[in-house]
Amino acid sequence: MAITITAPNTTTLNWTKVFGNYAGTIYQSDSESCWYVEFAGKTARFDYRNILKLKKAVYNIDIEALLLNSEKAADLEILFICACDHCYVLSLLEIIALKDLLQGTFVMLELNHIIHDRLVRI
Amino acid sequence: MKDIMRVKCLLSSDVEALLNQQIKKEAHSSSIYLAMASWCNQNGFDFSSDYFFKQAEEERQHQLKFFKYVLDMGGTAISPEITAVKTEFNSFREIFEDALDQEISVTQSIKNIAARCYKEQDFVTVEFLNWFFKEQREEEYKARRALELFELIGEEGTGSWEIDKNVGKIKYSSEAE
Ligand SMILES: [Fe+2]
Ligand SMILES: [Fe+2]
Repeated sequence: MAITITAPNTTTLNWTKVFGNYAGTIYQSDSESCWYVEFAGKTARFDYRNILKLKKAVYNIDIEALLLNSEKAADLEILFICACDHCYVLSLLEIIALKDLLQGTFVMLELNHIIHDRLVRI
Repeated sequence: MKDIMRVKCLLSSDVEALLNQQIKKEAHSSSIYLAMASWCNQNGFDFSSDYFFKQAEEERQHQLKFFKYVLDMGGTAISPEITAVKTEFNSFREIFEDALDQEISVTQSIKNIAARCYKEQDFVTVEFLNWFFKEQREEEYKARRALELFELIGEEGTGSWEIDKNVGKIKYSSEAE
């Protein structure tokens, strides 16, 4: 069953914004140890394994090949994450936006890791 | 904000990817050695065939060692697809040349992982890799020794038969332990 929450109230839910761009935002929930991806008109929950699968799926899309593809078929890409409740049907522009969103998010998570190391751990 | 990534997994995604690449390399080595065992057996080099069967088994163990390490650290270990296994060899000697090349490439690849680990101060993985460095010392030594038999004995007459017999006796017992 898909847990889909539209227009989440991030303050009452205690979500921390990790990164956002023109197309969406990714929040982290500390209490649930997961992330909420607000993108393409829905908010979807991803746990540790699933967000890595999403990242891998998106990074593996050959955007250049899609750009050069001159076939008349619609440039829609279906992202299906195994053992995850969500699937995305995205256009090329949306793929680029999602990739940017994830890249920014993982940079912020890495930064958060460094801050934890510096402030608390070492 | 909690550092969930680190809580879930000790390995960085780069190191994890390199370890998965190594899992594939070890699996590939195992398959190559099996192909060598097959060729040697068919051509009557029984000692060499045994030697490569044993090598194939060892490589499988190496693969599992890496595999379990990735899992133990909270990472995702990927069961690799093995393609392009060379099954035809032009000569008895070529097999041993390939075997040494294979071991050298494995050593280099593990060195590359360690370099990455030092860069991000992943000393936990470095410590794990140390076992493999010792192992590669032995692996390269044995492969080199085998190849040297071709120089020492020569393949003329009963030479190859003699070489094969001596391949079965190669051991690494060094005071450099
Ligand atoms: Fe090995
Ligand atoms: Fe080896």
